[in-house]
This record gives sequence, C-alpha cells and structure tokens, in this order.
Amino acid sequence: MIAQIQNHHRKFQEETIPVRESKLIELNGVTKAYTVGTGQFLALKGIDLEVNPGEFVAVVGKSGSGKSTLINMITGIDSPTSGEVFVAATPVHELNQEQLAVWRGKNIGIVFQFFQLLPTLTVAENIVLPMDFCNRYPPRERRQRAIALLEKVGIAEQADKLPADLSGGQQQRAAIARALANDPSLLIADEPTGNLDSQTSDAVMQLFANLAKEGKTVVMVTHERDLSRYFTRSILLSDGLIVANKEQKNG
Amino acid sequence: MVSPRWKKLWRDLQSARGRMVMMVLAIAVSVFGVGTILSAYTILMREVTQNYMGTNPASAFLELDRVDDALVQAVRQQPGILDAEATSWVTARLEVKPDEWMPILLFVIPDFNNMRLSTFQPESGDWPPKEQTLLLERAAQQLINAKVGDTLTVQTPNGPKLGIQISGLVHDPGLAPSWQEQTVYAYITPATLAWLGEGSSLQILKISVRDQPENVSAIEATVGTLAAWLKGQGYAVDEIRIPPPAMHPHQSQMNSILVMLLVFSLLALVLSAILTATMIGGLLAQQIRQIGIMKAIGARSNQITGLYLALVVFLGVAAVALGIPTGNFAGQKFAGVVGELLNLTIFSQALPAWVYIVELLMGILIPLIVAYRPIQQTSRATVREILSDYGTRRETNAAGLDRWLGKIRWIDNTLLLALGNTFRRPGRFFLTLGLLAAAGSMFVTGLNVKTGWETYLSDAAANRHYDLEIRFNKPQSAATVNAIISNLPGVERIESWNIAPAALYRSDGLNIVRTYPDGGHGSFSLRSAPTGSTLMDAPLIKGRWMQAGEVEAVVLNQNAAAFFPDVQIGGSLKLMVNGRTTTFQLAGVVKQILTPATAYVLPETFAQAAEVAPEDTNAVRIVLNQHDAAAIRTVTGNIENALAAESINMKVVISETMLEGATSGHVYIFIFALILISVVMAVVGVLGLMSSMSTSVIERTREFGIMRAIGARSKTILRNVISEGVFIGLLSWIVAIPLSLPLSWGIGYLVGMLSFRSPLPLILSPSAVVVWLILIIVGSIGASFYPARQASCLTVRETLAYV
Repeated sequence: MIAQIQNHHRKFQEETIPVRESKLIELNGVTKAYTVGTGQFLALKGIDLEVNPGEFVAVVGKSGSGKSTLINMITGIDSPTSGEVFVAATPVHELNQEQLAVWRGKNIGIVFQFFQLLPTLTVAENIVLPMDFCNRYPPRERRQRAIALLEKVGIAEQADKLPADLSGGQQQRAAIARALANDPSLLIADEPTGNLDSQTSDAVMQLFANLAKEGKTVVMVTHERDLSRYFTRSILLSDGLIVANKEQKNG
Repeated sequence: MVSPRWKKLWRDLQSARGRMVMMVLAIAVSVFGVGTILSAYTILMREVTQNYMGTNPASAFLELDRVDDALVQAVRQQPGILDAEATSWVTARLEVKPDEWMPILLFVIPDFNNMRLSTFQPESGDWPPKEQTLLLERAAQQLINAKVGDTLTVQTPNGPKLGIQISGLVHDPGLAPSWQEQTVYAYITPATLAWLGEGSSLQILKISVRDQPENVSAIEATVGTLAAWLKGQGYAVDEIRIPPPAMHPHQSQMNSILVMLLVFSLLALVLSAILTATMIGGLLAQQIRQIGIMKAIGARSNQITGLYLALVVFLGVAAVALGIPTGNFAGQKFAGVVGELLNLTIFSQALPAWVYIVELLMGILIPLIVAYRPIQQTSRATVREILSDYGTRRETNAAGLDRWLGKIRWIDNTLLLALGNTFRRPGRFFLTLGLLAAAGSMFVTGLNVKTGWETYLSDAAANRHYDLEIRFNKPQSAATVNAIISNLPGVERIESWNIAPAALYRSDGLNIVRTYPDGGHGSFSLRSAPTGSTLMDAPLIKGRWMQAGEVEAVVLNQNAAAFFPDVQIGGSLKLMVNGRTTTFQLAGVVKQILTPATAYVLPETFAQAAEVAPEDTNAVRIVLNQHDAAAIRTVTGNIENALAAESINMKVVISETMLEGATSGHVYIFIFALILISVVMAVVGVLGLMSSMSTSVIERTREFGIMRAIGARSKTILRNVISEGVFIGLLSWIVAIPLSLPLSWGIGYLVGMLSFRSPLPLILSPSAVVVWLILIIVGSIGASFYPARQASCLTVRETLAYV
C-alpha cells in the first residue's frame, strides 16, 4: 500500500510541478504591510529565503515576529505587499484566488494549530475531502488511500470516528493525514504542537521528521525551542526580519 | 460512493437541526402566506364566476305592464335575443319579531322546473313550492333565524299580513347574500303572489342576448331595439335593469379583497426575500470558518458556492414541502369562509398548476437568488480573511460608535455592549432591521386600513342623524303622515326625503338602470333633500350644497358622479325619472359611504322631475328621542300601527340598526383578511429576528468565550444577547411606524377607490402601534432567548476551539 502511495506521489509530482528546480521555496524581498489603527505595520521587511526539497525547516520567533505571515506567503493564504514568492518554480504571488485554491490543494498540505478538522465529517471523510475538491484519485480509491494515510500516521482504527471523539494528538495526526491527502511535495504546519502535551508533541514531530526523510519538504512555525532536534534548519524571525538562518546538526 | 462534501452538507443539516428547522420554517411561513393568498385568490375568482355564470344570468330585466307566454315566445324570435322568460318581483315586509320588520324580496317564478334565465338551485324541502308557501334563499336562514317548516308573517304592498310557510330552501348565487343586504329573498308561484294580495300577472321580462353577452353597450343596443319593438306592440316599457354582465353583485367587493391580498402577497414576497437573506447570512456566519478550512485544503470558490447553494435548495425544498400544503389548505379554508360569507358554493377546491409553480419558485428560487450573492462573496473571501481571528475582530465602522458609547456613564456596561454589538455588522443589522420594520409596517398597515375602514363607516353612520327611514308603497300626503307620526311618543322629528329611481338620459327615452334584480347594487336614485335639513351630513368633495331656490341644482354623491365623469361643477346633466327627462346643473359632489348612487335635489325640483304632487311624500326620515335598537323597534311598531289605522301601508323600514348590520356585513371579510395578513407578517418578523440573533451569537461565539474566561457569568451573557435583540426590535418599531403611513395610504387609496370610489382615510391606529410594540418586545425577548441561552451555556473551551 505504502509503495502504491509513493508511486502516486512520484507520478503526481511529475504532473503538478512544472520545473523541478533545486530550490523548492524561494522568497525574494518579500514585504508585507498591514494597515492598523495607528498606521502601517510591517509584518515582513524584505525577506529573502530559500528552502531545498526534503528540508525540515523551523520558523521560530516571538509572538508578532512575522512567523505566521511568512508561511501565509508560502501557502498563498496571504499575498506580499512587494517581493516574489516561488514554490516549485510557481510564482505564487502572481496567482489569483481561484488559481491559488487549485494550486494549494494539489501542491501544499497545511496543518493548523487547532487541527481544524471539519466536525461533521468522520476522520476518513476529512481526508477524502481534499481529494474530492481537487478531483484527485478515482473516487473508489479515495477511502482506501485515506485509510492508508491514517495507517501511516498511526490512527487507522479511528477512521470512522468523528473528530470530537479523538484526543488532541489523534486529531493532529488526522490533520497531517489530511495534509498528505493529495500527496503534496510541501507541508506547511503552523504551530502544530502548540495545543498538545509534550509526549504527543514528540510523536507528532517524529511523524513530520519521517515525512521529511521520505522526501517531503516541511516548513513549520513553532516557538518551542526544545523541538529543535527534529529540524534540518532553523530560521529565527524578529520584527519581520530573518535574524538567524542556521542548519541543525541533528536534523 | 457519496462525496464527503455532500455528506458534510447532510450532516451540517442534521447537526444544526434547530437552526435549519428555523430557516425552513421562516421560508415556509412566507410560502404559506403567499400560498394562502394565491390559492384563495384562484379559488374565489373561479368559483364566483362559476356560481354566478351557473345561474345563466339574464342580460337584462324589462319591466312591462304585462308579460305573458305569447309575448315570451315572440321575444325569443326577435333579432339578437337568445332567450326570454317571464318573472315578477315584489318587495314586501317580513315580521322577524313583534313589530320588527325586514324587507323581503319575493321572486315570482311561473315554472320552477323549467327556469331558463337567472336560475337557482333547490337545497332542501319542496321543489317546486306548494301554493301558499315560499322557498327561502339559504343565506336568509340565519338572518331571520328560521328553518324549513316555520311560518313567516309577510305583508305585500297591497295585501294583508299573512302567515306563509317555508317549504324549502334554495341557493341563488346570483344575489348578494341576505345578511349583507339585510334583505330576505324568497321564491313563490304566481298563485301564491295572488294569495298574498297582489295580482298574479307577471311584469318582468328576462332576456339574454345572442351576441356579445358580456358587452354592456351591445346589450343596451339589443335591449333598445327590443324595447322599441315592445312599444310598437303596445306594451308599456318601464324600468330596464341591465346588471354588469358576467359579474356577481359582489364581484367588485371580491376584486377589492383580492387586489388587497395580492398587494400584501407581493409585500410578503419582499419580506420573504429579506428573511431569506438574513437566514443565509446566519448560515454563512456559522459555516465561515469551515469554508476557510475547505479553501485552505484546495476547495475552489465555485465548489463552495455550489455546496451552499445546494444547501439552500434543500432548505427551500423542505420549506415548500411544508409551506405549500399548509398554505394551500389555509387558502382553501379562507376561500371557503369567504365563499360562505358571500353565499357561494365552492364546487372545487382544486388549484391550477401555476399556483404550485409560483409557490415552488418562491420557496426555492427566491432563496437561491437572494442567497447567491452572499454565498458567492463568502466563497470568494480569501482564506486569511476568513481564518484571521474570526469572531473577535473589531469592525472599523463600529469603532466610532463604541467610543461614543464608552462615554455614556449612566447605562449599565452590559447594555452598552449590547448596543455596540447591534452595529457590529452593519449589513446584517440593516437586513434584520429592514425585515422587522417591513413586518411591523405591514402589521400596522393592516390594522391602519382596518381602522380607516371602520372610521369611514362610523363617520358614515355619524353623518346620518336619523333613526328610521320609512318608504311607502304609494305617495302619501306629507301633512297626514307628519301628523300621524310626529304625535307618537318617542318621535322627535320627521322630514320628507322622497325617493325615485333615476336613470341616465337616453335619446330613445328608455329608462335603463345598471342594477341587479335585488334593485340595490348599482341602483341610482333621485332624492329630495329638504332645505336646511340637519338629518344628513355629506362631506363635500367638490362644489357646494344646493341653496333654497336653486331649482335646477343637483348634488351627486361620488357613486352618482362616476356616471358623469365629464360633467364639471356648474355643468349640466340629464336624468330620467319615471320616464321624464330633466336637465340639472351640478352644484356639488359629496362623499357617502356604502350609499348607492344618489342625486339630491330640492323638494320642489323632485316633485317636478318625478311628477309627484309637491304635497305628497313616499319616504320619510324620522329622528327619535332614544337611539338604541330597542327604542327604534318599539317606535317602529307604534308607527306601523298608527299608519295601518289610517290604511297607509309601509313598503320598507330602514333602521339605523339595519344599516349598521348591512355596512358591517360588507367589511367583515376585509377585516378578517387584514388581520390574517397582519398575523402572518408578525410571525415572519419574529422568525427573522430569531434567525438574526442566532447569527449574532454564532459570530460572537469566541467573544463569549473570552468574556467567560475573564469572569462574565451566564446571566451577563444572557442579558447581553437579549438586550441586543430587544434593542433591534425597538429600533425596528421606530422605523416601522412612519413606514406604515405611506403603505397605509397606498392600500387605503386602492381599496377605498375600488369599494367606495373614495380613498380610505389615513389613520394611524393607536392600538396597532401599541400592539406591535408589545409584540416586538415580547417577540424580541422570545427570539433572543434561545440563542442567548445557547451562548450562556457554552464553555470557554468550546468557544475558543470553535470551528
């Protein structure tokens, strides 16, 4: 089953990513300004960043440093005020909302802090949903694939339960499985362990690390310094600027 | 395999069952309202026509000196005549209680088994009636509290009082119902008429025309030719009655009701659209975070739009499944009630397909149209816009208000918060306000129109300063009548107000009136109005009242003025009275409610125009010392006896009590319809508020979590939400009242012109204003309580983890 998924993975990558550049993510001079009550607030100040395929990158920094804004630029959830964002050579900053939805569904898996599973769908159905929206995989194979992904994250037995019946850790694993539904090359996680206890956090981090080892690129926002052992690289943001960008030895 | 997005749709419906039920109910109530009106409209329009046309109504009724079989046969051979038949009618009196009389119109039918024109159907008892018995029109039963087998005391103009048995009941849908006209209709044979003291010869020739039977001009032309032929044959042609072709006597009343109902149904459609928009806003507010997540995992805008439009379709289907059968049922019942009031037999309650189509479109298409834009806008919102701290963000346009409210020190903070929340979402706020204000204004309009109507009628009654009008079979000496009546105890004053049927001038000299066999609807009379009389006030519409010595002057009421649209004040008009043509000068036009077309002239002018002796009278108006029904009854009995002692027979006595009965009978249906409409509007409004408050609670779920986390008690949250609901309700009340005024004016104008040729007065009903205030406060509390309770029961964890 896993081999079958990996096969799909390769095939899908060939289909969806037009040019396989050496850099999976490339940000050039990205600035993001918000209008607030007191005037303009610069959340990002000319960020340049490159992420290679297979990296497991941590984006760390204090609250308000621009971490979430940075990953919103990568996912296309938000657009830069100036600068360029390329993901797998796709100029994300040039896509409109409709193009972004299609592109995101096929190329990016997003994991949220609060899991954000749809409450009225079972765990398996939550995972089938992105395949349905992006019309990926034949409908008959979708549930089979969802179960395989749940097996991969270790909660296959929870497939037919509603999210509310799962623990926080199980919900986050389900959210990771959902992020993998369309076999994207890039996983973006916004403080995925922020709502979990330390033991569950470790298990979830291990899962991400394994995915990175399998070839997925993972960019994760976190402010938990003791998780640094899982990352291949750590980017420190402060006041909208990258103040440190260093590779982790134990990644 | 069912796609998970459709599963989501289905489970969303199930999980938010209460909310969905409310949405379905709200749309269903609108469908119900429009369905009720449309089905009643279609049934009544069809059945009135079928009832009336089922009688094969005669095109015209010609009053001749004699009508026999040979004449009838000959008339049938005349050009343009389709059929002819002989009949007769006599207005007699019926004693309903000792000394209390009521008009009874006796129709004389030579052959009950071979009626050809203006027919009626047996209901129970004998058919045909035995001699010296009568058949009673079924609607008169309740009016006089009589049944088959009872004996009635009847007196014809030339006959003695006689007891006559009711041998059966008939249904005559060609006549306005007895209870409305305060007149009893009965059917007898010529032999019975002779027994009652009148000659048995028939005097009315009923005819139907062959060509263009629904064209009144064509009928007049044919009748003119026939009348000329009749005169040539030696017959005296007196009054010719041509009722409006193919129209029930109460068709115009029915049209007024139906037009009013249709206007309200259009307003209900608007209300339904606003309500749906409010509901959809609430639904989207509830689902917006999930929409954001679905977009984040790859859903395109059109997929989201399709999903929620499908949800709206589902809700619409459920609403029509509920609204159509109940609305149609209510419409059928309403049509039944109106049918019964108008003495119609509802042969079929079937509804045409177009009614179902309109209802389906209303319940499904309108919600879809209204929902499309907000759904599309929400679907197109960016993921960041949707997911960025939804439910706690500050609306920039509410900030100024919050600052202003913050300066108020004398109001409790919770209430200030509620006030602030009201304006948090201006779009939703104005939609809810609009919905409630629309419902409120329609509710108040319904009752305003009702009040306008009642005021009109009470004004009409107040303009009549007499208690009794007595008409005689033959002109009597005014001095004698005066002497007899004015000496009776209880009588304060008596005046002679002569009356004669009038007709529009025709060059051929024919006396053609546009009235029905009952002689009431569409009739036109010339009346003498004593100079300086205070027995009648008639508000002037234009011109002035006549003055002493103005022998050529005439004052028309608005119904009579409608016959002369081109005649201006000072202009001349010609009338025919008793076959004689007189030219008058129009002095003024007055307003008289529920009074047939009447032309008022000075007594000397009347005597000349109607060719009656100036010292005679055929109608007197009497003022009594006491004005209650019992006093009127007693004095009427005394007058009756005193006149009988002098061998003077009264033709008819019209008391103020009877006039009130007749006028209120005509408006009862309107009032009933208006109250029904008002109630539907109130229900829709309260449902809308409930929906809006639920939306508000959903949008603020996180805020409530934060409030609870920082120490707010359930009671505080409950009070906050309820205060917001009541505040919106009160604001809507303030808007609804002025909004109801132009609406009331418009509907009052439409209905008044259709019914009285005069717009209803614009009156703001104080009771409507107060009742709506109470309703809106109680409704707001009720509508807010459930969402408020839900909000107050949420735990901090639930609210902050809200998806």
